[in-house]
Amino acid sequence: LRRHRVEVSVELRKAKKDEQILKRRNISIHLKEESPSLGQDRADEIIQLSLEEIVQAVNGDDTQLQLLATQATRRILSRHKDPPINQIIELGIIPRLVEFLGRADSAALQFEAAWALTNIASGTSEHTRAVVQGGAIPALISLLSSPHMHISEQAVWALGNIAGDCPLYRDALIAHDVIPPLLALVSPATPVGFLRNITWTLSNLCRNKNPCPPLDAVQKILPVLIFLLRHEDRDVISDSCWAVSYLTDGCNDRIQVVVETGILPRLVELMDSPDFIIVTPALRAIGNVVTGTDQQTQEAIDAGVLAVLPRLLRHSKPVIQKEAAWTLSNIAAGPYQQIQQIISCGLLPPLVELLDRGDFKAQKEAVWVVANFTTGGTVDQVLELVRSGVLKPLLNLLLVKDSKTILVILDTISNLFLAAEKLGQTEKLCLLVEELDGLDKIEDLQNHENDMVYKAALNIIEKYFSGEENTDLEPQTGQDGLYDFSVEKQDFNF
Amino acid sequence: MELSDANLQTLTEYLKKTLDPDPAIRRPAEKFLESVEGSQNYPLLLLTLLEKSQENVIKVCASVTFKNYIKRNWRIVEDEPNKICESDRIAIKANIVPLMLSSPEQIQKQLSDAISIIGREDFPQKWPELLTEMVNRFQSGDFHVINGVLRTAHSLFKRYRHEFKSNELWTEIKLVLDAFALPLTNLFKATIELCSTHANDASALKVLFSSLILIAKLFYSLNFQDLPEFFEDNMETWMTNFHSLLTLDNKLLQTDDEEEAGLLELLKSQICDNAALYAQKYDEEFQPYLPRFVTAIWNLLVTTGQEVKYDLLVSNAIQFLASVCERPHYKHLFEDQNTLTSICEKVIVPNMEFRAADEEAFEDNSEEYIRRDLEGSDIDTRRRAACDLVRGLCKFFEGPVTGIFSGYVNSMLQEYAKNPSVNWKHKDAAIYLVTSLASKAQTQKHGITQANELVNLTEFFVNHIQPDLKSATVNEFPVLKADGIKYIMIFRNQVPKEQLLLSIPLLINHLQAESIVVHTYAAHALERLFTMRGTNNATLITAAEMAPFVEVLLTNLFKALTLPGSSENEYIMKAIMRSFSLLQESIIPYIPSVITQLTQKLLAVSKNPSKPHFNHYLFESICLSIRITCKANPEAVGSFEEALFLVFTEILQNDVQEFIPYVFQVMSLLLEMHKNEIPSSYMALFPHLLQPVLWERTGNIPPLVRLLQAYLERGASTIASAAADKIPGLLGVFQKLIASKANDHQGFYLLNSIIEHMPPESVDQYRKQIFILLFQRLQNSKTTKFIKSFLVFINLYCVRYGALALQEIFDSIQPKMFGMVLEKIIIPEIQKVSGQVEKKICAVGITKILTECPPMMDTEYTKLWIPLLQALIGLFELPEDDTIPDEEHFIDIEDTPGYQTAFSQLAFAGRKEHDPVGQMVNNPRIHLAQSLHKLSTACPGRVLSMLSTSLNAEALQYLQGYLQAASVSLL
Repeated sequence: LRRHRVEVSVELRKAKKDEQILKRRNISIHLKEESPSLGQDRADEIIQLSLEEIVQAVNGDDTQLQLLATQATRRILSRHKDPPINQIIELGIIPRLVEFLGRADSAALQFEAAWALTNIASGTSEHTRAVVQGGAIPALISLLSSPHMHISEQAVWALGNIAGDCPLYRDALIAHDVIPPLLALVSPATPVGFLRNITWTLSNLCRNKNPCPPLDAVQKILPVLIFLLRHEDRDVISDSCWAVSYLTDGCNDRIQVVVETGILPRLVELMDSPDFIIVTPALRAIGNVVTGTDQQTQEAIDAGVLAVLPRLLRHSKPVIQKEAAWTLSNIAAGPYQQIQQIISCGLLPPLVELLDRGDFKAQKEAVWVVANFTTGGTVDQVLELVRSGVLKPLLNLLLVKDSKTILVILDTISNLFLAAEKLGQTEKLCLLVEELDGLDKIEDLQNHENDMVYKAALNIIEKYFSGEENTDLEPQTGQDGLYDFSVEKQDFNF
Repeated sequence: MELSDANLQTLTEYLKKTLDPDPAIRRPAEKFLESVEGSQNYPLLLLTLLEKSQENVIKVCASVTFKNYIKRNWRIVEDEPNKICESDRIAIKANIVPLMLSSPEQIQKQLSDAISIIGREDFPQKWPELLTEMVNRFQSGDFHVINGVLRTAHSLFKRYRHEFKSNELWTEIKLVLDAFALPLTNLFKATIELCSTHANDASALKVLFSSLILIAKLFYSLNFQDLPEFFEDNMETWMTNFHSLLTLDNKLLQTDDEEEAGLLELLKSQICDNAALYAQKYDEEFQPYLPRFVTAIWNLLVTTGQEVKYDLLVSNAIQFLASVCERPHYKHLFEDQNTLTSICEKVIVPNMEFRAADEEAFEDNSEEYIRRDLEGSDIDTRRRAACDLVRGLCKFFEGPVTGIFSGYVNSMLQEYAKNPSVNWKHKDAAIYLVTSLASKAQTQKHGITQANELVNLTEFFVNHIQPDLKSATVNEFPVLKADGIKYIMIFRNQVPKEQLLLSIPLLINHLQAESIVVHTYAAHALERLFTMRGTNNATLITAAEMAPFVEVLLTNLFKALTLPGSSENEYIMKAIMRSFSLLQESIIPYIPSVITQLTQKLLAVSKNPSKPHFNHYLFESICLSIRITCKANPEAVGSFEEALFLVFTEILQNDVQEFIPYVFQVMSLLLEMHKNEIPSSYMALFPHLLQPVLWERTGNIPPLVRLLQAYLERGASTIASAAADKIPGLLGVFQKLIASKANDHQGFYLLNSIIEHMPPESVDQYRKQIFILLFQRLQNSKTTKFIKSFLVFINLYCVRYGALALQEIFDSIQPKMFGMVLEKIIIPEIQKVSGQVEKKICAVGITKILTECPPMMDTEYTKLWIPLLQALIGLFELPEDDTIPDEEHFIDIEDTPGYQTAFSQLAFAGRKEHDPVGQMVNNPRIHLAQSLHKLSTACPGRVLSMLSTSLNAEALQYLQGYLQAASVSLL
C-alpha cells in the first residue's frame, strides 16, 4: 500500500516549521543606491509623511513627490512588526504603484514601487489579490528585462510572492509568459544573492497542486533546475530541491517527467548532505518519487537511496526520521525483489532502532514500513524481519495513543501469524508474543473503545491464543433442520 | 398528541405504572408508551414532565424514559422512516441545554447523556449553536451550570480519543477548538484562581475541583489526535498550572475513605495521563517541561501513602516514569547514582510491599488473589507498575539497579531473620524484588524464559526458598510459603533439575496446607513441573523418578479437594490430570479408589456445574483412568461402564447441557475399547442419539458425530440388521450437517464412516440421494472446505465401491456428469486436499479411476485421462495449494457468535487417526505404477502412446521414477 503525502487536508497543528517559506517580505537594508550618508532608520525619521499626504503625492504629477511618497509607503511596509498592509491597500494607491512600474524615466520610482508591491503581496491571499487586481502581473514581468539589475531582482521577488499564493495566480503568471525572461536571468555570471531570489521564485512556480503547473512550463523549468541543483550555494540548492519536491508531489506521470531527467542520483547525493536545509527537500523529493510505480521506485533504489536511508533513519531531527521512514514504507510496499534490497542494504537494524526509540511521528511511519513489509514480503523475508528483533518494539507500540497505528500493528501481527502458519511455527510465535508482553497488551485491547481495534484484537486472541489444550472453536448450526433425508434433483452445471 | 394537561396527566399515570413491581401492571404500561412514542409532541411532553411534574419520581422517570427514547429513535437510518418529526427535533435541541443545566443532578445526568447521543448524530452540522450555547455558560459564574456544560462537552469530545483520523473528524475538532479552546483555557485559569481565593471553603473547593478534573479530561480529548496550534501556543499556561496542581495539597480535600479515590487523586491521575500523552506524542514540543514533571511526579510518589485510594494515581505515576526512563534522551535524568538509589528506595521498594489489603485478599478472597498474582491480571496494580519501572530502568542501568537492590534484598532478609514472625513481610518484599529484577521475559507455558544474569537464582533458591518449604509446619507464614512455591514455578527453567527433584516432596507436602493460596500454588507448581520437557522431547521428570511419591501425591491431591474452599479447585484437578498422564501404569493399583472419588465428584458437580475448567479436567482425568487401565487390561472396560453409566444416565436425563458433550466423548472412548460386537446397552441408546433436539445444540455436534462413528465402526452390521429403520434418520443427521457451511465437514465424517462400514446393500437405496444432495451443495454454495471434504469422500467411495460404480452412479443422475465432475472439480481442485491420510485416499481413488474404469479408455472421457494423471502427479509432487478465495476468509469468524464453551474437546478422549486404505496400499506412488502396469498389460500400447503424446515432460519424469521404484515397465 503506497501512501501519498497528503491524507488529511485539515490540520490541527501549527503550520509546519520545516516547510519552505511561501511568501517573503523584503525588509532588508541592502540599498547602496540610497544616499549612503543616511542610515535607514534616520531616513524614516526624516521623511514623515502622513497617509493623506502619501495619497496626495502618489496621485499628483510631481515625480519627486511620487518617489518620496512611494518610498515612504515602502518604508512603512518594511517595518519589522505588523506592517499596516490593509491600511495601505485601503488608500487605493495600488493602481498608481503599478503605473510607476512602467516609469522607465525614473528607475528609483520603478524600484520603490516594485518593492512596495512585493511587500503588499507578501501578506495574506487577500493582500496578494489586491496586487494582482491592480494589474501588476504584466508590469512586473516587463521589469524582469529591466537594464537595472536591482529592479529586475525586485520584480522577481514580487512575482515569487504572487506565484506562491495559489495555483490560479501561478498559472496566470505562466500564461503571461513569465518563464522565458525569468530563465534568461540565470547565467554563470548572476550574483549569488540574485540567483537565490530567482531560484525561490522558480520553486513557487512549481509549487501547489490542484491543478499542478502546466506540463510545458515544467519542461521549460526543469533543465534550469538541474543546473541550479549543481550550484555550490546552499540556499540555491535547497530551493531547487524544494522545486523538484513539488514537481514530484503528484501523479505518476509527473514523477516520470522528473525521473527522466536523470536527476535522481544527484538528489540522493543531496539527501546525504550534512546541511539540514538541503536534506529536508531532497528527502521529500525522493520520498515523493517512491510513491510512484514500481519502476520509478526502482530508479530511486538504483540511484542509491537505500544506502543513504539508514543514516537518515538515525538523524537527530525527528522530522527527518519521520520523512525517511515514510519513504522506506513506500519502498516496502513494492514487490518482494525491492523488499529484498531493503534487507540486503541493511535497513532492518535502523528500522528496529527507530521503532524502539524514535520520535512518535517517526515510529508511526516505521510501523507502516513493517506493515507493508509483512504484506508484500515472502515468508523468508518476514522471517528475516522477525529475526532482526522487530517484534519487541512493535508490540510495545500497542500502547500508543493512536487508534490507527494500533490497528496497523494488529494487522501486521496477523500477517506475521500467517507467515508463521506457513512455516509451521504458529506455536513458537505465540510464545514469543507472550514472552514479549504482547499477549497482555492484545488482551487489553479487547476493551478498546474503537470497534475495529477491538475486533482485530479479539480476532487474534480467538485465533491464536484461546484455550490451552486443543480446544476447538466450533461454529454454530446453519439453517433449519432438513432432518428427513430427501432432496429434489436439479440440473447440475459446475 | 397535543401538548395538553390531559395528555400530561395520562402520561404521568402510565409512567407511574412502569415503576410498578407487578409485571401485570408494568408491562402493559411499557407497551402503551412504546405504542405512542411515534406521535408528535411525545418527547416534548416528557420534557415538560421532567421539568414541571409535582412528583420527583415522575421527573426522574420521565428523564430516563426520555433518554431511552432518544437512544432508540434519534438516529436516522438510511431507507428507514424518520422516527421523530422535524419540529420535535428542533424543539428538543432548542430547549435541552438550558433544561439540563437548570435540573438537579440526577436529571442533569440523563439529559447530558441524551445531549451526547443527539450530538453524536447532529453535531456540528445540524446543531451549530450548541457550542456557542455551551461556551456562553462559562461566563455564568455558576459552577453547577459550568460543570453541567463540562460534563456534556466531555461526553461529546471523548470519542476523539479512539476514533481514526479523518477529514470529517478533524474538521469537527478544528471547529470545536476554534470555539472552545480559548474559553476553556480562560475557565481553567479562572478556576485555579478561585481555588486559591476559596482555599478555606471545603464545599466550594469540591465543586471547583470537579471542574478541574473535567477540564483536565477535556484537555486530554482535545489534544489526543494531534497537538493543536492553540495548545502549542498556550502550553506554558497549561503545563505550568498542571505542574503546580500536581504539587498541591489541601487538607480540606483529603478524604477519610481509604478505598475510594478523592477529587485530588482523580485530578492528579488525569494530569499524569496528560503529561504521559504529551511525553509520548509531542516529545519535541514537550521536552522543556518534561524534567519538571518527572521531578514532580517522583515527589508525588514519595509522599503518597499506601492506601488503596491512591492506587490508580500511584500506578499511573509510576507508569509515567517507566515510559520516560526508557527513552535514550532522558537517560540523563535518571543516571545519577543518588537518583537511582532514591527511586529504588522511595518509589519501587515501598510499592512492592505486601499491604494490608493484599493480606486480606490472600486470606478472604483467594480466588481473586490467585488470578491477579498468577495469571497476570494485575495490569493496574502498584506492584505491577513497580515491576515495569524496574524493567524500564534495567534497560540502561541493569548493573547499578541490580547492585542497589541486592543491598536492599540483603538488609530485608536480615530484618526477617531477626524476628521472622514480626518481619515476615520483609522477606516477602525481598522475594518479590528478586523476582521482578530477575525476570526479563515470561510465558505461562514455560515460566521465566529470559533472566537477568546478574542475579544468582539457584543460590537464592537454595539459601532462602528451600529452607522455608522444608519447615515442618506447612501452615506457618502462608504468604512466604506461597512466595516460595511461586518462585519454583516461575524459575523452573533456571533452577537445575536436581533442585527441582528435591522440591517435589516439599510441594506434595504443601498440598495439605490450609491456606487456599498455598495448596493451590503447590498443585499448580507440580502440574507445571510435570509438563516440562527434557531431551528428546520426553518429560523432564520421569515416571521412574516419581515412583517413590505416587501414593502420597495421589492421596494429597485428592485430600486437597476436600479442604475448605477447594472442592472445585481447577488447579488441583489439572494437577491430578497431569499426574495421571505422567505416571501412566503406576497409577493402576490406585484406580479403584480414584475412579470412585472422581465419579462422586462428577455426581456432585453435575447438580450445578459452575467451574468449567475444573469440570474439563475432571473429565480428562476420567478418560486417562480409562485409557491407562484398559491399555493394560481391556477387560476392565466393563467395570468403568458400571461405575460411570449411572452418573451419565442422570446427566442425560437431567439434560445437564455443559456435560453432555463430555459424556459423549467418554462413551466413544469406552465403546472403542470393546473388541467384540457392540454391547446391547449401547444399541438401546442408538435411536436417542438421532434426536433432532440434540443436534440443534452446536456443542453436541462434534462429540455426537464422534460417537456415531464409534457405533458405525463397532456395530455397523448390528445397525443394518437390528436397526435398519433408523438408517434414514442417520442419513437425516448427515443432511442436516451438510446443509451448514460450518458443520459440513462433520457431515462428511459421518458419511465416510457410513460408506466405509455399513454393508453395501443396507445403503443401496439411498446412494443416489446422497450424491444429489452433495451436488446440490456444490452447485449452490461451495466453499473450499466443502470441496476438500467432497473430494476425499468421492475417492473413498471409489476405493470402497470401485471406479466403475462411481462413474455409473454419476451418469445415472445426469448424463456426462462424471466427466463434468472430473473436469470442473477433481482435476482443478485436487491440489487443495490436505492431510496425509486424505491425500492418500485421493491418490488411491484417482488411480482406480485411471486404471479400473473402462469408460476412461474408450469414451469421450478419454480426453480427461492425461489431465487426471497429471493432477495426480501434481498431488504427489507439488506443494499443497492453500489459497482461499478472498470472500471466504472470514466465514468461520463471522459465523461464530463468540467463544463457544459448549464443546470442549477432551485431549485424552482423542480418536486415533484412522487410515481406511492403510492395509490396501502402503505407498500410493508405487500403487499407481503397478496399476498402470496392469492396465498397459490389458491394452498394450495405448497407455504408452497417450503418455508420450500428451503428458508434460516433468510429470513424465516423475512417473518414470515411480515405475522404476516399483520395478515395472509399461507395455
